Amino acid sequence: MSEMRDMIVDVVERMLKEKVDKDLVDTVEQGHWAPELWDLFKENRMTAVAITEENGGAGGDIEDLLNIVRLTGKYAAPIPFTETTFANYLLEFTNLQVIEDLATYMLCPDQAFTLENGKLTGEAIHIPWARHTKNLVTLARSKDGTHLVEINLSQAEIKEATNLAGEPRDTVRFQHSTTSQVSAVLSPDKIRTITTLHTAFQLALMTGAIDKINDLTVQYTKEREQFGRPIHRFQLVQQHIVHLAGETAIALAAFNNVTEALLMNKQNSEVAYASIRFEEIIQTVTTIAHQVHAAIGTTHEHSLHQFTRRLWSWRDEGASTSYWTNLVATQLMESGDSLWGYLTPFSKSSPLLKVEG
Amino acid sequence: MFHLPTVQFTQEQEQFRLDVRTFLQEELVKGTFTSKCDSWLSGDDPEFSKLIGQKGWIGLTWPKKYGGQERSTIDRYILTEEFLAVGAPVAAHWFADRQTGPLLLRYGTEEQREYFLPKIVKGECYFGIGLSEPNSGSDLASVSTRAEKVEGGWIVNGQKIWTSNAHLCHYMVTLVRTSPFDGKSKHAGLSQLIVDLHAEGVTVVPIKFLTGEHHYNEVFFENVFVPDNMVVGEIGNGWAQGLAELAFERSGPERILSTFPLIDELIQELKRQNNLEGLKQASKIVARLWSLRNLSLGVAQLLESGNGEDVSIPAALVKALGTKFEQSIPEITRLIVQTYPTLDAHRKIDRFMAESILHAPGFTIRGGTSEVLYGVVAKGVIAQ
Repeated sequence: MSEMRDMIVDVVERMLKEKVDKDLVDTVEQGHWAPELWDLFKENRMTAVAITEENGGAGGDIEDLLNIVRLTGKYAAPIPFTETTFANYLLEFTNLQVIEDLATYMLCPDQAFTLENGKLTGEAIHIPWARHTKNLVTLARSKDGTHLVEINLSQAEIKEATNLAGEPRDTVRFQHSTTSQVSAVLSPDKIRTITTLHTAFQLALMTGAIDKINDLTVQYTKEREQFGRPIHRFQLVQQHIVHLAGETAIALAAFNNVTEALLMNKQNSEVAYASIRFEEIIQTVTTIAHQVHAAIGTTHEHSLHQFTRRLWSWRDEGASTSYWTNLVATQLMESGDSLWGYLTPFSKSSPLLKVEG
Repeated sequence: MFHLPTVQFTQEQEQFRLDVRTFLQEELVKGTFTSKCDSWLSGDDPEFSKLIGQKGWIGLTWPKKYGGQERSTIDRYILTEEFLAVGAPVAAHWFADRQTGPLLLRYGTEEQREYFLPKIVKGECYFGIGLSEPNSGSDLASVSTRAEKVEGGWIVNGQKIWTSNAHLCHYMVTLVRTSPFDGKSKHAGLSQLIVDLHAEGVTVVPIKFLTGEHHYNEVFFENVFVPDNMVVGEIGNGWAQGLAELAFERSGPERILSTFPLIDELIQELKRQNNLEGLKQASKIVARLWSLRNLSLGVAQLLESGNGEDVSIPAALVKALGTKFEQSIPEITRLIVQTYPTLDAHRKIDRFMAESILHAPGFTIRGGTSEVLYGVVAKGVIAQ
């Protein structure tokens, strides 16, 4: 990591440590809003990272942004940080105007809204934080193809709903509503890149939560005593600790390799591999963490569930693992090379993040 | 949790990978060698080792004055990956290249370096690693092979066991007790000696592997004289010197890729069958491999930057996770495609299956059992 990134990560982690606690997460889960935390992120220009300075952003790159997202996952920060920053990132990516306000997105090509003469119609479910945000960046289908559209949410009919972790995942309905901006028709490549980036953001959040669950669990084995000694002294518990450490180390390394690959404009297989591997990681990590914490970890009073419930939600948001499995299988089928050749390609960078001129 | 660095290969490194790959493919086509699973332990071929030596691919990272190429740890990582991915017979020179060379460069005398390293580099001088004894497996510090001081050297008596390829090796770096066992500091009093395996009093007895193949041995020492100039490092410092080797030994690509030829053949087979469903199942293997390689490369990068960061915990973790992965490959493969494993099978996948099934139990034992590694990792994590 660059020194600049180390510094950003350090500042954000201190902010989150100080401002986010279990009570705040609980409060937001009950439907409230965390204005102080949001304002802090905005004042510190964290919401403008990875947007170029010429478009009013704070500079920095996608790796910086994904590392901040990872930290918001590590602290279960109850604000639409990922949503606002990624929405803006996509606006810039498709040559649209970046917006200042709170924003969210809908990126599932299957539930794209219909676009006709600049008016948006249709309904989409599981839109993160829609009730608290002002703008929606969404895929929409016109007679010409698929576009990225920005639209003001004040025109929408919003039905509140939540995911397993109690995070807002609302149903949004438009009826001939006026759009603010519409991109050119997106090429299939570009839509795939949006899916790849979306998954990278999900991986960032999940990496943070996994890291936190590992911390909580290790800490618990030091504090909890049974049979007259801390439970980490028992070899069967140590075996749990090692499996957990292994999966956590793998998640962190996978995340770092994913962000690096995105930054270097390399082929997008990294996101696919990571996504497939995270399936197993989440299964192992959540099972072990709860087993080690035992009864107390199943209570609302303990904070463990704030992270395990998030993992159980986040893993199903965005492109599914079967999408990535299918992609890797298809690439393998079409590859003229051996598996080793496929895994160690020579760096012809593909224009994954190239902004179209 | 530790953050390991990522590795991006330079263009020169990618070119190097391509050169090695092209050479190995040409030799494979010529019939110089046959691909094999677990070739770093069971593929011993001195002629192939000499050929590799001529290419300058043994002792790649060592100083030029000893015949090395002064290339980076990452270059060596690439080289090793290419050997293992194609299942090339690199066992003969393996331990000398991986362990003895670095040990002598770190602790050896100038005389030892000048004498041994150029021979190792040529692929003509092989070393065994003499650690385990019949009553000292995981509890290595309890070794009882002893060396007594005499005029001009040491007299060694005792026995080593599970010494890979001792029957092909010229020398063995042997961990011996040079002062009596002290329960209070059991790591003290151990030393490393280079024993000439053809010296008087040394007997190498084969232990047949469960297939009947001959890979490892018992080595007996009966009043074997070892001259003073064959002591490695300091007398009494053998434990610490041995530990320093471990990071290099534990986390390399050979802890992930021992069954790679089987994975590669599985994918080829599925492609021939036009079996997309099978490839979907196999994509899990690919994702696991990728994620382990990230860790292993991260440790290699830490070793390369050499800023004194302790890599022993992540290195132990890589070995524990990696060997479990390579061990699982035949069991996953047989559920995706139909195979009938035999060692002399005509079909490549059947032969690779047989080699993998039969060698797999050893992966999580050799070089430190998973149980010992788990202990190391758990203590490290708790201490953080």
